[in-house]
Amino acid sequence: MNDPHILSAFDRDLEGIQALIMKMGGLVEVAISDATKALETRDVELAEQVRKNDAAIDALEEQVNIEAARVIAIRAPAASDLRTILTVMKLAGNLERVGDYAKNLGKRTSALVQMPVIEGAPGALRRMGRQVENMLHDALDAFVQGDVELAIDVRDRDEEVDQMYNALFREFLTFMMEDPRNISACMHLHFIAKNIERMGDHATSIAEQVIYNVTGEIPDEERPKGDNTSYTFETME
Amino acid sequence: MKDIQLENRAVTDEKTKIAANNVNVYYGDTRAIKDVNIDIKSRTVTAFIGPSGCGKSTFLRCLNRMNDTIDSCRVEGRILLDNEDIYDTKVDPVQLRAKVGMVFQKPNPFPKSIYDNVAYGPRIHGLASKKADLDGIVEDSLRKAALWDEVKDRLQAPGTGLSGGQQQRLCIARAIATSPEVLLMDEPCSALDPIATAQVEELIDGLRTNFSVVIVTHSMQQAARVSQQTAFFHLGNLVELGDTDHVFTNPTDPRTESYITGRIG
Repeated sequence: MNDPHILSAFDRDLEGIQALIMKMGGLVEVAISDATKALETRDVELAEQVRKNDAAIDALEEQVNIEAARVIAIRAPAASDLRTILTVMKLAGNLERVGDYAKNLGKRTSALVQMPVIEGAPGALRRMGRQVENMLHDALDAFVQGDVELAIDVRDRDEEVDQMYNALFREFLTFMMEDPRNISACMHLHFIAKNIERMGDHATSIAEQVIYNVTGEIPDEERPKGDNTSYTFETME
Repeated sequence: MKDIQLENRAVTDEKTKIAANNVNVYYGDTRAIKDVNIDIKSRTVTAFIGPSGCGKSTFLRCLNRMNDTIDSCRVEGRILLDNEDIYDTKVDPVQLRAKVGMVFQKPNPFPKSIYDNVAYGPRIHGLASKKADLDGIVEDSLRKAALWDEVKDRLQAPGTGLSGGQQQRLCIARAIATSPEVLLMDEPCSALDPIATAQVEELIDGLRTNFSVVIVTHSMQQAARVSQQTAFFHLGNLVELGDTDHVFTNPTDPRTESYITGRIG
């Protein structure tokens, strides 16, 4: 629905909120990229920067919620406008969570630099982070364009992130069994992998919300899931 | 999810009270209503929305033959009330209007006392044989219209001396005094303040336990608040009829979407 409202101030309100979401999305993408880069390059300063920058993301979420409440109170949005307001509120929540995970990556990176290097893991985590960053980017593009196809594509791509997480989970388990001195580092790295996997879930949630925003229907069909670590066990001999 | 609040909002009766088939209305050569088919369910509030001149009031007035009084107006098609054609020559319009009551946009009390305004319908239709019965009907109707407390001490004062909002509630009391089966309301709250509006909306919600209510309103929020079914009219066409919840969150027709979101359609 691209026709303008008769009341042009309503359009300005909606565009304003959308701009806040895009700004938030930009900051979150940078946070993921910087956090995983800091992890791979063992850059404590950059990790610290990511932690500090999270405050700006949190502030934007609050601003989105305030603006959304104002639009509901003043404009009484209906139909697609109502769905857009509900959507931006959920999107802001999702993005804020992703920001928190990135912040957590920063914290763990500061701890990890004191520990032995686990070969290959930081590089793999950075690739996983890039995958999630792309998903998030496309999910927000799908929101702005109202592109259901792209949103469905994002939703399907989460399976790859789950599979990357699975592979890392097994790798960390192996490292820890090989040498107990790896346990501290692997525990941190595992949390990082899990956090990135959760970021993917939030990107998926954003994509689903975009589908609702455009079609008015919440996608109900079971999406592909690749995380089967809940069933993993190792026997100690 | 079986939520009690949501259940309450749902349509409670699937029975059709009024069925309109291929209704066309002409004012002279102008076709104001174009092939409208609609089922009005019993015990349900149906809201008619649409821009000015879309035909919603014209169509509403067909439902109790108020258009008979306009010489140039011609109604084609069939409108059935409980499966009986209301335009059949055997139907007495006066009896029909006792069954299908109406409240208008502008309050139009009779130049009589408050009591007589409400008692008028029951008297001419012989609904009360004793004075006490009639008193009961008058009080009950005024209470339902949320007016009793304000006028109980001056029932013999002229109805025209009341404020605009009170006059409208008096007209509602008058309309429900004959216990109609269907109540037609044409912009009943456009002259009322928010409190009186809320009282009328509360009354409408109460009425639907017994009657069908059809309300024409320009306030989309009012339509969303009081109705279970919403019909959107545009240029004499019935564009969309559906559950109110659905029409206001995800309408099917782009014209409905444009109208309720306040866009140039």
